[in-house]
Amino acid sequence: MSTEVNVKEKFTFWQALGHIDRRIIYLVLAIVVIVPLIVPLKLMKDVSPRAREVFAAIDNLKDTGKPLMISVDFDPASLPELYPMLISMIRHAFARNIKVMVLGLWPNGTGLGQQALKQAAEEFSKQEGADYVFLGYKAGVDAVILGMGENIKAVFPKDGNGRALDSLPMMTGIRKLADIGLIVSLSAGTPGYADWLLYAQSRYKARLAAGSTAVQAADAYPYLQTGQLTGLLAGMKGAAEYEFMVFQHGFSKAKMTAAPAMDPQSLAHLAIILLVIIGNIGFFADRRRGKA
Amino acid sequence: MSIMHILLSWQMVGALLTFFIFSFLFRDNPFYKFAEHLYVGISLGYTIALTWYSTVWPDLFQPLFFSPASQVAVGQKLLLVIPLLFGLMYFTAFIPKVGWVMRVPMGFIMGWGMGVWIPATVQTTLIKQIQGSLLTPTMLTKWHLLLFGLISLVGVICSVIYFFFSREHKGAFKVASETGIIFLMVGFGASFGYTVMSRMSLLIGRFQFLLRDWLGVIH
Repeated sequence: MSTEVNVKEKFTFWQALGHIDRRIIYLVLAIVVIVPLIVPLKLMKDVSPRAREVFAAIDNLKDTGKPLMISVDFDPASLPELYPMLISMIRHAFARNIKVMVLGLWPNGTGLGQQALKQAAEEFSKQEGADYVFLGYKAGVDAVILGMGENIKAVFPKDGNGRALDSLPMMTGIRKLADIGLIVSLSAGTPGYADWLLYAQSRYKARLAAGSTAVQAADAYPYLQTGQLTGLLAGMKGAAEYEFMVFQHGFSKAKMTAAPAMDPQSLAHLAIILLVIIGNIGFFADRRRGKA
Repeated sequence: MSIMHILLSWQMVGALLTFFIFSFLFRDNPFYKFAEHLYVGISLGYTIALTWYSTVWPDLFQPLFFSPASQVAVGQKLLLVIPLLFGLMYFTAFIPKVGWVMRVPMGFIMGWGMGVWIPATVQTTLIKQIQGSLLTPTMLTKWHLLLFGLISLVGVICSVIYFFFSREHKGAFKVASETGIIFLMVGFGASFGYTVMSRMSLLIGRFQFLLRDWLGVIH
């Protein structure tokens, strides 16, 4: 399928299906992505139980009074999948008056966390230090998580803007990970949700949910079955589901980015399935010719 | 959105770099190389600056050299000398004669890392997962829980048998092993499906940027 047409070799129609020029494939994919973005089909209708679990876990923090901690464990390369999760979760928390803490284990993603906090805080008129805290980035991954299990202020004596954590009203009564209601790792690789599982969940029994890139999602499912993860948002679909729920509950009327992307996503998947079938027909036609 | 706004904006820079990267679909070229190197350079520079200002300076250099004894006790300062020395030892990699010194901090990091990682991993990925694979009385309460529990149990046992090489795969062992292959293939299929979704998401993200943020065609 990926090889270019060999003009010297003569193919039957069925064999040619297995030798489609890769540029035609790129063109087909570009069309099935662009057209539904311009002319929306509104295919997004339902939400998976896994996404509902994450939503409920954050929503229930309202009753406990404990804060939500979001770890931005991705960089701009995974922005389309994970940033909509990040901003939707912050909007959800702010709409329910839940305190939010944001930190990053990836240096290149920390700024995205700050940007999302700032944007949502403006929408909901929230005060930094009183309603939310941006912890910033600290190198060391395992040592950072283990350290926060004992004392958050020892690892982050100051927030991302250089203010002492002790001086921030929101941090009163928050000493270690056990004081956090739910940790959500938005993860694009290593370090990511796996590190939070190893140290925060396993050792300090912290409640953990994950939002992951689709590539990682299959690896994360076993931890749902055992209850180590409270919920999972898988890839752009998970982001779209969360956005959809926040919108549906009336918590935010902001423009959605992941939910409209489900139209091109669905059509692109359909195109890929067709191409896989076509490629297989070509493969078998080739094999048959070889035997003849 | 005016033409001037489109041309004189950061979105224009983003759009140009997107096209430079997309040009690789045709073939490798200098525009692609430029965008690739720019990305690597900026990422690395940003990481170095952020690590310095968020960790190295406030946690090491400032308390060690620039804080008075009234703020940071002498004992604490002496403790900070250890990570400073370990950090400096890494630079011996550039001096072949004393390059072996680098093994000291590496050994420390490996020892500490393994000590922390092994028990946590055994607990998280082995013991918990074995517990999760067992049939529990709760599963008998609903038929679908029992069914999924049984599938999971059979899948785990057969997949483990597939990787058991101390005995020839014959008879019942072969049946179990080949059943394991089916489970593995289903697992690989799920991973591939998710990978396709991930890659498509990135493509959609770029087109959203081009059509919405840059051209303003979609809202």
